[in-house]
Amino acid sequence: MNLSRRELLKMGLVAVCGTVIPLSALEILTPEAAASLIHPFSKKKRWAFVVDTTKCVGCGMCAKACKLENEVPFDTEVQRTWIERYVQLKDGKVIIDSPQGARYGYTKNDPQGKEIKDSEVAKGLFVPKLCNQCEKPSCVQVCPVGATYKTEDGVVLVDRGWCIGCGYCITNCPYFARFFHPITNTADKCTFCYHRITKGLNTACVDSCAFGARKCGLINDPESEVFKILSTERVSVLKPEYGNEPHVFYIGLDHIVR
Amino acid sequence: MSHAWRPVFVVLAAIVFFLVARVILVPSDFSAKNGDYKYQWHRLSSEQYWKDFPVKHKGMEFCGMCHVPILEKLKGGGHQNVQCENCHAMFNPEKKSHPIDLKEISGYLLNIGTDRSRELCKRCHAELPYRPSTYTDPKKGTVKFKMIDPDKHNPSMECAMCHDVHSAGFKTAAK
Ligand code: HEC
Ligand code: HEC
Ligand code: HEC
Repeated sequence: MNLSRRELLKMGLVAVCGTVIPLSALEILTPEAAASLIHPFSKKKRWAFVVDTTKCVGCGMCAKACKLENEVPFDTEVQRTWIERYVQLKDGKVIIDSPQGARYGYTKNDPQGKEIKDSEVAKGLFVPKLCNQCEKPSCVQVCPVGATYKTEDGVVLVDRGWCIGCGYCITNCPYFARFFHPITNTADKCTFCYHRITKGLNTACVDSCAFGARKCGLINDPESEVFKILSTERVSVLKPEYGNEPHVFYIGLDHIVR
Repeated sequence: MSHAWRPVFVVLAAIVFFLVARVILVPSDFSAKNGDYKYQWHRLSSEQYWKDFPVKHKGMEFCGMCHVPILEKLKGGGHQNVQCENCHAMFNPEKKSHPIDLKEISGYLLNIGTDRSRELCKRCHAELPYRPSTYTDPKKGTVKFKMIDPDKHNPSMECAMCHDVHSAGFKTAAK
């Protein structure tokens, strides 16, 4: 057979491309399939949370109830759930604060302790925060002793009897949701009130919210309110760029929220 | 046998020691559910610990078992969604003042008392420019959320002097 140099290179290239590119890469993706790749609703039982910031008045009753329910000493500066206040002034300045984690609520227009006139405020909102119960929790990956883990239904818990208190998980949470518990001397975090949701109750923070700003439920149960909101409304998550796949969804966030 | 084998025995002994120590030290219920060693490697007993954590907030239905008229009043007014415990659970155990020991009777663990401070009502009702101005009422739908300026609305008086907190209205005498 007579092969020119050019033909050899051409055929060689085709052969190399043919072996490198898998058949599936040539398939044309339908938009639905592409969307499901970005955010699949998993089929297994999975807890998730919805926070409607447009309803939150910043009374902090959730933070109070959480502390009492979960035995986090009330007058310490650590909290499983807290509320942040974001205020943008008319001159464009953004002030963010969360005095005492808002467990005593917001009763004054005094971001960062400095009272300001109502007329100076351009916009503002309250953002309740809690553990995002990530699908890929970066806090769990760094535990050197296997003392923190994700349950089958998607809640990240701490094994208090096994935690050595090294604090890696606390520094590795992009949402600052973990802290050092002053009494057990272990890492601690929001559990979605695992003792309540597994008994069919609502979490303490959901129950204590008079404004319906919080919802907890199964993400894949068509009867749950969380499912209904996620499948009909526009929601977003905090810090998606970390790739943790957080499962606390927010309604009405703003670009000043971080 | 050549002396060159000695380090090999040392290494083997170390491996055996490690494996034995591991069997002794690692609790037997340590395992990875679904073979997920990355996220689900844990002591299975820990899940039970969290499931058994005591439930403390029992909601208005619990208080309403004994305080029937108050629950009725509450359900008929603006505070129908405000849990008793929001205002009556005391974070300061000294403020506990419930005449009946609920812990003894029904294993209820929170400290119940009465907070008459204006600060309590201000948590929801103080007017802030960024506080949502509407409220989703379970029956009436979206209504105006009523806020007051605490510096102007009858300052230095207890809110409960004039307002009936449970019905979210007024004391009959003040009407
Ligand atoms: C086992 C029945 C029972 C339960 C349950 C109960 N209470 Fe009471 N409570 C009483 C009785 C009896 C009194 C004293 C008589 C009275 O003032 O009605 C009382 C008094 C009170 C008082 C003081 C009233 C005053 O005039 O000073 C408050 C406040 C109170 N209860 C709150 C609550 C709250 C909040 C709950 C729910 C967590 C609750 N109670 C659950 C029986 C109960
Ligand atoms: C957890 C938040 C919360 C707290 C704390 C609270 N309220 Fe309310 N209040 C509400 C909500 C929600 C409504 C119903 C919405 C509305 O009518 O504005 C309401 C309605 C009212 C109303 C009825 C307004 C009207 O004309 O219909 C009065 C009066 C009132 N509250 C007084 C008080 C007083 C006094 C206190 C303190 C003891 C208090 N509230 C504490 C949430 C709260
Ligand atoms: C001296 C009696 C008195 C005291 C004390 C008092 N109020 Fe009032 N409140 C009234 C009266 C009268 C009205 C109805 C007329 C009005 O809107 O001012 C009212 C109205 C309200 C309303 C409904 C406002 C609206 O827009 O319809 C709220 C909410 C309220 N009060 C909350 C409070 C709170 C919270 C406190 C304590 C910080 C408090 N009140 C203290 C007498 C009082």
